[in-house]
Amino acid sequence: MRKVKKVMALALSVALVLVSLTGCGSSTPSKTATNTATTTAPNPNDTLIYAQGAEPRGLDPALVDDGESAKVMCNIYEGLLKYNKDSTKVEPSLAKSWVVSPDGLTYTFKLQEGVKFQDGTDFNADAVKFNIDRQLPPQATADMCYASFVFGSVKNVEVVDQNTVRINMKSPSTPFLSNLAMVMAAPMISPKALKDNNNNVNQAPVGTGPYKFVKWEKDQDVVLVRNDEYWGTKALTKNVIFKFIKDNSARVVALNNGEADMIDGIDATVVKQITDAGNKIFQAPGMNINYMAYNTSRKPFNDPKVRVALSQAVNVPELVKSLYQGYSQQANSILPTFMNGYDKSVTQVAYDPTAAAKTLKAAGLTSVHMITYTNPRPYNAATGQVLAEAIQGYLSKVGVTVKIDSYDWSTYKAKVKGGDYDIAFYGWIGDNGDPDNFMNLLSDPDPSMNIALYKNPQFNSLIAKGLTTPAGAERNAIYTQLEKIVAADAAWLPISHALTLCAYRPNVQNFYFHMTGITPFAGVSKK
Amino acid sequence: MLKYIIKRILMLIPVLLGVSIIVFLIMRVFSPDPAPIVLGQHATQLTVDAWRQANGLTDSIYLQYFHYLKGALTGNLGMSYYTKTPVVKEIMARFPATIELAFISVILASFFGILIGVISAVKKNSIFDNGGMFLALIGVSMPIFWLGILLIILFSGSLHWLPSNGRINPLLEPMHISGFYLIDSLLTGNMSAFMDTLRHLILPACALAMYSMAIITRMTRSSMLDTLQQDFIRTARAKGVPEGKVIRKHALRNGLIPIITVIGLQLGSLLGGAVLTETVFSWPGIGAYTVTCILKSDFPVVQGVVLLVAAIFVLMNLIVDVIYAFLDPRIKYSKKEV
Repeated sequence: MRKVKKVMALALSVALVLVSLTGCGSSTPSKTATNTATTTAPNPNDTLIYAQGAEPRGLDPALVDDGESAKVMCNIYEGLLKYNKDSTKVEPSLAKSWVVSPDGLTYTFKLQEGVKFQDGTDFNADAVKFNIDRQLPPQATADMCYASFVFGSVKNVEVVDQNTVRINMKSPSTPFLSNLAMVMAAPMISPKALKDNNNNVNQAPVGTGPYKFVKWEKDQDVVLVRNDEYWGTKALTKNVIFKFIKDNSARVVALNNGEADMIDGIDATVVKQITDAGNKIFQAPGMNINYMAYNTSRKPFNDPKVRVALSQAVNVPELVKSLYQGYSQQANSILPTFMNGYDKSVTQVAYDPTAAAKTLKAAGLTSVHMITYTNPRPYNAATGQVLAEAIQGYLSKVGVTVKIDSYDWSTYKAKVKGGDYDIAFYGWIGDNGDPDNFMNLLSDPDPSMNIALYKNPQFNSLIAKGLTTPAGAERNAIYTQLEKIVAADAAWLPISHALTLCAYRPNVQNFYFHMTGITPFAGVSKK
Repeated sequence: MLKYIIKRILMLIPVLLGVSIIVFLIMRVFSPDPAPIVLGQHATQLTVDAWRQANGLTDSIYLQYFHYLKGALTGNLGMSYYTKTPVVKEIMARFPATIELAFISVILASFFGILIGVISAVKKNSIFDNGGMFLALIGVSMPIFWLGILLIILFSGSLHWLPSNGRINPLLEPMHISGFYLIDSLLTGNMSAFMDTLRHLILPACALAMYSMAIITRMTRSSMLDTLQQDFIRTARAKGVPEGKVIRKHALRNGLIPIITVIGLQLGSLLGGAVLTETVFSWPGIGAYTVTCILKSDFPVVQGVVLLVAAIFVLMNLIVDVIYAFLDPRIKYSKKEV
């Protein structure tokens, strides 16, 4: 009897363990996993492994906004236009040519012929219309992060013929062409895939690009395979794997150990460790700006003279060198150097502590309230707090005491919105490579964008003019002028443009990281 | 016994209800608004309002909870705000990895923990005892993530013996049947995948087992010391029972109850995910994922995971209680037999 009870107890325990684990035990086989179930290790030279610090949010360009997704998506999808390899100038991609009407209200695109999506359906003018209409009212949903940014000025889309599409605008918008090269919102998705997946291809992306999606193991990896039907030059390497390794030092070990061929998200402290192991570093220029902003709505910071004096007190070149150890460029302007409208004649207030002390004494300014963030940001790896403390040191030398309040990033954003500060720190990561995307921050009525609360009618009218002037020298001159106005007014103190640091193994050929934050792998191979 | 188990399982209902109310309130009161996080840097007030409306966040908190409960009862835990994927799918994609790692770690921890504990107790105050207790002290005091990093640097970085991250080489992944790679690779006869999974498991399982092993060692030692001083041990020895049998059958068997309790609790907490180990080894489990979701105010995911973990804890406790009856026939759970 006792034995029977024992057996029963044991059986019940086992049953309970099984019941508690049901669900995971019976998880349905993933549709795509079977495709890759191989029993032998693949040829390592036919596989590129890229390790990044976080998992993509999703792989539907209309539904995501993060850089980790962009790196994967740029290999699966293509847009009508693409960026030049070394700049943010736009080039033909799925559109082979285009014409902009003189009033800037109609864009007509001639499409590449014979292009197919990875599911075998045709890419044509109907597909373009389907993709854009999806992100226009009334179809657009609130969680399409970039729909209004990319297509906000679009009125409607007309199919002229199978290979010609016309986009009518509500108002002229020169940055629109740059928007079409973005990896967010703009890429073309197979309409069939969207219909099959309830208008959300986050887990089942289908584009026209050089690689097609194989599978996504959550928190582990995304696997892509070469699209052998690709309409352009086919990719050199067969498989591309994006691995997600959260810990920075573990990512470096994975590279040095040969478990990854390329990694990103590294900082200056590990460069030596990587190069000592025989690996190489890639420095991409960064489409970003790290800055300090004065609250121009408050006395005495509404006086440009006071702002200039405070900026004069800070030795920016020395600051950038010591804080970022050569892995950020000093910012002489708001626009990064590779962008249209950048002009090297633009300079900021020069370092002059004596003049600064004199002006500040005359203005009677002896204390300043700064707010800053405690997290590292892509444009400021040293954290806002370290930056603020360095500036506190400079200001103390000219007789100004600084009170710093530091907050984590989410709280900080709310504090900035509240507007209770004399000086705040922020940064901007460019979206589309157009100068308007940087300069219009200072004309934005939203205080969480324009944290200097800068209001200058002349500046605002030039911003509006820049939006409607066709791309070219005349338009570039407008942005140079905008830079000069803001430099003379010293609403911001631009600090630095962070470089993107990547590392790769010596047998990897032609690796590059584009300044817009994407990593196209079609031309990358391994020896 | 069966009645008792059914009663205990029914008790899950109030526990889960309570947990769901607490986590629901905590997320809504203390977490930042998810809308700006989900919608990104170009969100306008208009889109933020529209999104909040579409996700029911403008309703009263009672109504929100009611909707959530209604969904949960039908097995629908909602969609992740951030990835727009069903929560159940997100959890199930990661839970097998957590279970696999937790079980292997607990097996390692129990085996070595009981072994070292018994030796320490039997050879009290010897060099084995001191060595074992020193190891246990290191185990409880050393931060797991630090041990993990040391293991990676040594075995992956310097010696290149073992992989430093992940569950398997992505190109060797076995077909998904159970989601447990060890089982799936055996079922499909994919030996290279099996070996690769094992190689990937060694470092994280050792790092994770260290703490549990230390706790189990200490508990085994003290429980064994207690039992070895009991009269029936003396009687057994006096009867001429061989010493090995005295230790295994008489002492260990009787000393096992508190040890099983500890093992059960350790397994329960490991099944809730090991955040630091998962982060250091890029292990695709539920722990690190939940932390990411908490930081992103992804309410539906956090609620789902917490419910799951609460249920696991209650079930683990129940399993431990059932095992008591199996180990010690004097323990009975039905009234009649008391």
